[in-house]
Amino acid sequence: MGYITGGFLKAFQLLGTGDPETYSAVFTTLKVSSLSIAASLIIGIPAGFFLGYREFRGKRQVRTFVDTLLALPTVVVGLLVYAFISRRGPFGNLGMLFTIPGIAVAQTVLVTPIVVSLTATAIEGLDERMRVTLVTLGADRFRIALASLKEAQFAVLAAAVTAYGRAISEVGVSMMIGGNIKWHTRTITTAIALETGKGEFSMGIALGIVLLLLAFIVNWGLIMLKKRA
Amino acid sequence: MTHETAYRLHDLKFRYSEQFLLDVPSLEIEKGSSVGFAGPNGSGKTTLLKILAFLEKRYEGHLLFDGTDAREIGEEARTKVTYLLQDPYLLKRSVYENVAWGLKVRGERHGLRERVYEALDWVGLDPKTYASRRWNEISGGEAKRAALASRLVLKTEVLILDEPTANVDRKSAIGIRNAIERIRAEDGVTLIIASHDEVWLHEISESVLRVSGGKIVGRGADNIIHGPWRPDGRDLWTKTLSDGQAIFGVGPPTDDGIAVLDPSSIIISNSRPAGMSARNILKGVVAHMWEDGGSEKLRVEVEVSGAAFLCLITRFAADDLRLLPGKEVWIVFKASSMQWYRPESLF
Repeated sequence: MGYITGGFLKAFQLLGTGDPETYSAVFTTLKVSSLSIAASLIIGIPAGFFLGYREFRGKRQVRTFVDTLLALPTVVVGLLVYAFISRRGPFGNLGMLFTIPGIAVAQTVLVTPIVVSLTATAIEGLDERMRVTLVTLGADRFRIALASLKEAQFAVLAAAVTAYGRAISEVGVSMMIGGNIKWHTRTITTAIALETGKGEFSMGIALGIVLLLLAFIVNWGLIMLKKRA
Repeated sequence: MTHETAYRLHDLKFRYSEQFLLDVPSLEIEKGSSVGFAGPNGSGKTTLLKILAFLEKRYEGHLLFDGTDAREIGEEARTKVTYLLQDPYLLKRSVYENVAWGLKVRGERHGLRERVYEALDWVGLDPKTYASRRWNEISGGEAKRAALASRLVLKTEVLILDEPTANVDRKSAIGIRNAIERIRAEDGVTLIIASHDEVWLHEISESVLRVSGGKIVGRGADNIIHGPWRPDGRDLWTKTLSDGQAIFGVGPPTDDGIAVLDPSSIIISNSRPAGMSARNILKGVVAHMWEDGGSEKLRVEVEVSGAAFLCLITRFAADDLRLLPGKEVWIVFKASSMQWYRPESLF
C-alpha cells in the first residue's frame, strides 16, 4: 500500500511544482482533444441536424450505420487511420503519422459519430408543435431550421460534451497514431499506460488526477446542460 | 351590400383513415366575420382549422383564400393567417422573446417592445412581471395567454383559435376571452374559433357551425342527435339513451343518420305532460341558461342521460316555469320535428 500512498504524495508534488514532463502530457491532451472536437462539431452538427431533421430514402439505414459507429473500438480507428496516413498509405505524403494533427484526425473519426447521432436524436426529439408554431408565426424553412437548432441547443451541447469526454479519455488512437513520443505526442492517457508499465506510479497518478478532474468538469457540464435541455 | 370572401371551400375532403373522412361540400367565410365551430372531440374541427391555416395540405378538393388556391399561396398571403394550437408551444426563451419572435421574423422591429408589451397587456399578463420570465417559469394558463399574445401582436387578417379557453384556469380563460373580444372589436379581423364553450362561442361568433363525424352538420344552435336508429315497428325509428329513455324520429336516410333538431321546437315542462301527440317526452336537468344575443329569448341547456339538448324559450316562459340550473324538467318535441342531415340542405 505504501507505494500507492507515496504515489499520491509524489503526484501532488509533480503537479504543485509544475513538472514539465507532466504538464507537457496535459497540454498535448488539451491540444489534441480541442482540435478533434472542433473538427467533429463542424462536421457532426450539420450532419446530425440533417439526419434528424430531413426525411429521405435510406434514412433508417444511415441512422443504424451512424449508431453502429458509436461502438467503434479505438484500436480499429487507430488501425484504419494508421493505414491511411502511414508512409505507404494514400495520405502518407502529408507526414501526419506520429504528429498531433494525426492523432486529432483519428480522434475526429472516433467522436464524430457521437456528435452526429446525439444531434440527430436531439432534433428528432423536438416537439412537432414547435414546427407548427413557427409556421403559424410566419417562419420560412430556413428560419424554422435555425430555430429548431436553437431549441435543441442544450441537447446539441450535451452531444459535444459527451464527444469531448470520449476524446480526452481514449488511449488506443493516441498510442497508435501518436506513438507516445515524449515532449511531442505523449498524452495523459498514453503517459499513464507507459508509467504504469514501468512501475512508476507517481506520474501516472498525477496525470490520472488531472484526467479525473477534466472528466469531472466535462460530466458536471453535461449534467448542467441536460438539466437545462 | 357585397361581402368579400376570405375562404371558399368546395368539395373538400380529408381522409384520416378508411373509417373517418372530413367532408366539407361547400363553405364560405367572409372577411371580417367571426365563425365558430362546435362539436365533440374527434369530430374534425382541429383538422379543418389546420387546413384553413395552411398547415394541412393533404386534402382533396378546393380551398381558396382571397381567391387564390391555398396550394399555390405565396409567403405573403400565408402570413396573413395565424393559428393558435389547442395545446400551444412556447419556444425555450423568455415570454418577451416568444411574443416578439413572429414580429422579428416578419422584419417588423419598429416599436417592438411597445407592441409586445401591448399584446401582453391584452391577454392580462403584466409585462413588468411576465416579459422576462422564461417559458418554464409560468403556468399552463399563462403559457396559453403568452402564446395567444404572440399571435395577436402580429395583427393578421385571419386569426384561427383552437379551443383557446380549454384546459386553463378561470383567470386565464377570462384574460383570453377579453383579448379575443378586444381584437375583434378593434381590428375587424376574420376570427375562426373552435370551442367547447358554447355559451361564449355564440357570444363571440356571428355564426356557429356544428361539426360532427367529419361533417358540418348544422348551423347556429341546432341540436345534433347521432344514431344508430332502430325501427320500432310503428313507422317510427328509435334511439335508446343510456338511462333507458328513447328518442323517436321519422324515417332516417340510414341507420346511422344524423338528426338535426331546432332548439325552438322543444317544449320545456315542469311535470311529465300527458295526453300529447308528441312522441318525445324526455326527463332531464337544466344545466345552463344564458341570454340569446340581442333577443328576448333564453337558451336553456337540458341534460338528458348525458346528452345536452339546447332549447330556445322566451324569458316569460322561463320565469313562469321558474327555471334554474339543476332543476328537473321534461323536454317535449315531435318525432317529425327532427330533420335529417343532408349536406346540400345546409348551404
